[in-house]
Amino acid sequence: MTAMTLTQSFVTALLQIVVLALFVFVAVPVIVFAERKVIGYVQLRLGYTRIAGGLHGVTGGLNRLMWWMGKLPFFSILRGFPSFIADGIKLFTKEDIVPEKADWWVFHFAPAISVVAAFTVLGIVSFSPAPLWTWPAAVPIVGGLPFAGVISDVNVGLLMLVGVASVGVYGIVLGGWASNSKYPLLGGLRSAAQIVSYEVPLTFSLLVPVVLSGTLNFTQMSQYLSGAPIQTSAGPAQMPALAILPLFIGFFIYLTCGFAETNRVPFDLPEAETELVAGFHTEYTGMKFGLFYLAEYANMIIVAAVAAAFFLGGHHFLPFGLQRFIPPSVPVVGGASFGWFLLWMALILFSYLWVRATLPRYRYDQLMHVGWKWLIPLSLANLCLAALVRYFA
Amino acid sequence: MENALAFIGRNFFLIFGLMAVGAAVAMVFSKSAVHSVLSFLFAMLSIAGCYLSLQAEFVGVAQILVYAGGIVVLFLFVVMLVELTRFKEAGGIFHVQTPWAVVAVLGACAVFIYVFRGLIFDPASKDALVLKPELAQGLDVASQNAQAVSRGLFAEYLLPFEILSVILLVALVAAVAIAKQERA
Repeated sequence: MTAMTLTQSFVTALLQIVVLALFVFVAVPVIVFAERKVIGYVQLRLGYTRIAGGLHGVTGGLNRLMWWMGKLPFFSILRGFPSFIADGIKLFTKEDIVPEKADWWVFHFAPAISVVAAFTVLGIVSFSPAPLWTWPAAVPIVGGLPFAGVISDVNVGLLMLVGVASVGVYGIVLGGWASNSKYPLLGGLRSAAQIVSYEVPLTFSLLVPVVLSGTLNFTQMSQYLSGAPIQTSAGPAQMPALAILPLFIGFFIYLTCGFAETNRVPFDLPEAETELVAGFHTEYTGMKFGLFYLAEYANMIIVAAVAAAFFLGGHHFLPFGLQRFIPPSVPVVGGASFGWFLLWMALILFSYLWVRATLPRYRYDQLMHVGWKWLIPLSLANLCLAALVRYFA
Repeated sequence: MENALAFIGRNFFLIFGLMAVGAAVAMVFSKSAVHSVLSFLFAMLSIAGCYLSLQAEFVGVAQILVYAGGIVVLFLFVVMLVELTRFKEAGGIFHVQTPWAVVAVLGACAVFIYVFRGLIFDPASKDALVLKPELAQGLDVASQNAQAVSRGLFAEYLLPFEILSVILLVALVAAVAIAKQERA
């Protein structure tokens, strides 16, 4: 590949950002819709197959439509789709209220911080090992250039991820404070304490694959997990057989902390309705609330992507380094591809919904107890285990 | 297009530096304490941008991780929980200090320029700013400075590094002890 000019790399990066943003804007509604459906099935709810209103007029027509869709083979999946559309319309058209005594600047700034932090992190996630496509030569500026599956493959990728993700907490704290109302303030503080606490075991568990492989880079990590030898600046590294043990434990610690970081069930204390109305976004309406919502789901996508890249196969079929038992010459399951990454992400996102449908919420002291007295020591012990594996293997 | 981008690329340090200075000024002069903390956050992020533009990726990202993600959050907690309104009604806490602060800042600038004039204006002094090459044997420092920094910290200067962390721990324990005494 010849070196790109500055203009070409600039335009390529812009295009990648647009594609990534579109991906998130498509993926988030899909996850929300899937959430309703999955929880409906798990908890045997009829919910989300009908909307408010009777059997007359517009709502009646939609209710009848959904009932009819449920009888058809493919369209039964889409049952509930009209009310999902209605949710979206409501979000966009709702009156945008700013409380009179709110701090105007901070109130508007807070949702933006959340979203910007989430999208910035997605910019360093490597979605695909190979370029997704090559632009045909007829395209004006970027003709003939590859369209890579990662915007910025930085060599301190993991640190960048943890750092920028920790900036996202400002959105929640400031949103709670700027509303100038008691419940949002309490919700914001709670959430910030939760996120700051769970960042510690989260980072420890993420250090396990880093200690094992000696790289912070997403692409190299994926190669390492496939069992292939990699060449890091700290020396060559290849995955020993015992490495599966710390990786396996670390994955579950990471997933637990990931649930807490994204404020999801069973750690969704910031929005504990029975105690706090709706937590930090009580006073937010319309699209500003929508941005918080978008940031939460974008953070879920990030957790899923990081878990896939650093613990599961990355771009490969089998997790935790089991990929080595499949020779690369085997078609489809032997190689690295964008599809496997998406599949792993989808599985973890499904586990989010699965957990939400089955587990009750922790009490606040229980949450802190689990975080500080169990997860932090456990993740430290696991890190020591990883260091021993690295040292002796 | 190409020239404009190259110009911006050459001057990233200047852009981020000006942003940091602007945010710092806003931090000092804003009326609300939370706005001050926000400006401080912005200044910290701009300084991280400065480090990144100097190809010190590790330091830049550590700046975001430690300052923007950790320390400023604590600042924000304190500012949000401590009522500062009574100072506001009394005409501002900073008003008395302003003339003295300006004098102190100007004095500090003069001293800084006097001490570092050789480093800044002498073209031969550029070498002093480069990381010690013997620390980074076999490493491409510009692209792998996470490894270079870790070699410095955990191999070359292990003892000073550990002593420093003990000093920080002592400060933390002392802070807790003082706070406990006041409550009793």
